Amino acid sequence: MKRWFDLRRRSAGLWAFRLHRLSGIGLVFYLYLHLAVLNQLRGGPGRWDAFVALARSPLFLALDVILLGGVLIHGLNGLRLTLLGFGRGLRWQKPLFWVGLTLSVVLMSWGAVAMFRR
Amino acid sequence: MEQMEQIKMGSGRWGWLLQAVSGILLVVLVGLHWVAQHFLAAGGLRTYADVAAYLRQPVIFGLEAAFLIVVTTHALLGVRAILLDLGLGPRADHVLRWALALVGAATVGYGLDLTLAVIR
Repeated sequence: MKRWFDLRRRSAGLWAFRLHRLSGIGLVFYLYLHLAVLNQLRGGPGRWDAFVALARSPLFLALDVILLGGVLIHGLNGLRLTLLGFGRGLRWQKPLFWVGLTLSVVLMSWGAVAMFRR
Repeated sequence: MEQMEQIKMGSGRWGWLLQAVSGILLVVLVGLHWVAQHFLAAGGLRTYADVAAYLRQPVIFGLEAAFLIVVTTHALLGVRAILLDLGLGPRADHVLRWALALVGAATVGYGLDLTLAVIR
């Protein structure tokens, strides 16, 4: 168990693997948190609209940016893993990881600006 | 390729294939969900009336229901892969598969019930 979380002396591929698993755990946690929060809809317009006002606060927006980063890292690395799993792009597995990570940072930054500007 | 073999051996070939296919579908469905719910909605989030009107559209209801089913399947297959990776045996995996199927059915049932409660 301890070894699973030990990221030292790992190749880029294993860094990608661990990052994929950790972002995946975070996203599963978020999925159930999101479903629990949506239960506010059962309380009708008063309860939901009050929650929406709170969710538009900078703190919630910052959490949304972190979520977007997690989705991008997990999604883009997932596409890379799928390609590799089907035997495609084997030579490019490391550059693909770095391209995905860079793209995640760029898109997350763009998303952050778009969310805070609304 | 060490990590690929680790993934495939951990969750089995069929489990891995379903994980990959649901993952590809999710890239599209998450993109649609995120843009529709957070970028097209005024102020970034919909009011109760807007949520109800949005979900009453049959195409949107279908897309959101598909998103719920695919994301739950992908998430629970991921949980199984991680648990198997930590050394769960075949017998425990059998129990785990049933447990995760029940959790998945409950999750989808809860989500659909909530959606129907809003659009009624």
